[in-house]
Amino acid sequence: MSPRDPAVRPRGGVPGGAEEILAAFREAGVTGQVHAVDVLGGRDLGVGADEDAVLASVFKVPLLVAFARLADAGALDPRERVHVPAEGRSPGPTGISAMLDPVDMSLRDLAFLMITVSDNTAADTLVGRVGLDAVNAAMRELGLRRTHVEHTGQDMYALMTEDVGGLDPAEFFADPAAIARMRVLDPAVTNRGTPREMTRLLELVWRDEAASPESCAMIRRCMGLQVWPHRLASGFPYDDVMVSGKTGTLPTIRNEIGVVEYPDGGTYAVAVFTRSSSTAQTQPRADAVIGVAARLAVEALRRS
Amino acid sequence: MDLVRHLRYFEAVAEELHFGNAAIRLGMAQPPLSQRIQRLERELGVRLFDRTSRQVRLTDAGRALLAEAREILGRVDHLHAVMERARRGEVGTLRAAVTPDLAAPVVAALIAAAPPGVRLALSQIGTVEQVAALTAGELDVGVLHHPVTAPGLAFGPMLAQPVGVLLEEGDPLAASASVHLADLSGRDLVLFPRATAPGLYDEMIAGCRRHGFDPPAVHETPNPQFALGLVLAGTAVSLTPEAPSPGAVWRPLTGEPLHWRASTAWPRDTALAQTGEFAARITAILAREAGMRPVDALPARRVAPRPSSGFLA
Repeated sequence: MSPRDPAVRPRGGVPGGAEEILAAFREAGVTGQVHAVDVLGGRDLGVGADEDAVLASVFKVPLLVAFARLADAGALDPRERVHVPAEGRSPGPTGISAMLDPVDMSLRDLAFLMITVSDNTAADTLVGRVGLDAVNAAMRELGLRRTHVEHTGQDMYALMTEDVGGLDPAEFFADPAAIARMRVLDPAVTNRGTPREMTRLLELVWRDEAASPESCAMIRRCMGLQVWPHRLASGFPYDDVMVSGKTGTLPTIRNEIGVVEYPDGGTYAVAVFTRSSSTAQTQPRADAVIGVAARLAVEALRRS
Repeated sequence: MDLVRHLRYFEAVAEELHFGNAAIRLGMAQPPLSQRIQRLERELGVRLFDRTSRQVRLTDAGRALLAEAREILGRVDHLHAVMERARRGEVGTLRAAVTPDLAAPVVAALIAAAPPGVRLALSQIGTVEQVAALTAGELDVGVLHHPVTAPGLAFGPMLAQPVGVLLEEGDPLAASASVHLADLSGRDLVLFPRATAPGLYDEMIAGCRRHGFDPPAVHETPNPQFALGLVLAGTAVSLTPEAPSPGAVWRPLTGEPLHWRASTAWPRDTALAQTGEFAARITAILAREAGMRPVDALPARRVAPRPSSGFLA
């Protein structure tokens, strides 16, 4: 039994999505931006939805869309096999970045690793074929004027290395003074976008409008197979709800964009970008609040 | 040679993989234990263990024997339990249990359906306790709520009851023929204690949240009358299958988003002769008297796979 007094219990009120989301962010020790849109019905909800945000690894979704469009145009072959040598890999804790030996793999499987485990070497190898200019051009063609990709994963690491005086940046990922100097955390300098533009991009993918239907299906498959359960997906602990997504992580930054699909057909694109006030690297609540915020936004859309 | 006793020695050594520890567990000295294992090996004409100075390992023959030995020892234990009941004059008694939510007419019909010549000992206990009692051989047949996993139990056909909401008569929501779960937003919920059926409890809470109802507090009680009291006082709403509830009104949930699944259950390997027939009668009574329907009649439960809980992930 709860000791609560029935007299002070709220009765029958429908909570507004935005205030609840801000309260959840506060409780988790983060500030955040959110945009959620009903892909079929067009209703939307936002918190800081039009402010620039640091994309971090979310930039791999625009990269994948640009890759898909070049494949559609015949400018590259997704089945082409490429050799990824053991030397010169982009740093990262997953996938080929963390492997020891040379790898031969198709471009589309590199894309799969880039999305499902956020493999930085896979991403930068694709950038080598696609080019950052083509990524930005694809975003303009899709009407996304504020999404801009400046850096590869390798570039971001080099920038962080400079900012900590040439040392190993990984040593400073929890250091407040070093983090304050990191330019990769400034959306004016690095890969950026807005929550609204990211949900727009996902909307186009889910409507088969970002590329050919086959390519959009390929993008949806990769995002549906992303392995991480701790952010967006944690907000929807329901067997019958499908969650597809792509995370983004840098010191103090935790992001995820994705699409939540209900068995009744309800389809919601959600983008959540957060910054934690603590510099601790392991913050399960800061990860989980991404799911909480997404759930509050989606539930508000489903109620309206 | 007392084969059963030797199999018990063997089982202990096979589980400990250490003669000293097995001897301690059996409350005997190590040398006689080693001799008895050797004797069993001679009797069966196989080596059961590879013994080196540092470790003891089961041979292939030993592994094969362990499965057989466990089955035989389980049967022997069951035989003793049955004879113990016979000694106490309980033979001919069928021990059955139901969960506390079943209405009086259903309970009466179940008792009336006991096989002729059998004394029915019916008790009212929750799902978790039923699983424990069935597994321990203290119960012959139960009616329990799913989902549960219980190695060694067999289940009858799965039945489902749609869950609705119990409201006080004057509640504005009582005016509509059915209620959306999301319309209960902000209300407290009264539900059976999680400890009595954690699988169903978690399914209910997840289902509520999934459909837009995230109760600020959940009051837990095993007693439907107490739950009704909270509803009448306006303290909480109760989510339950339809049942007579004086002073309150029961309304179905729009779209039938929640169900309670139930089935009969009995020990798979040691069921009494009458169990199967009685379980079938119980299933028929639950369908007739308690408004339960075969689960096949419901839309299939969709599962959207996630890599983090995928095959061998």
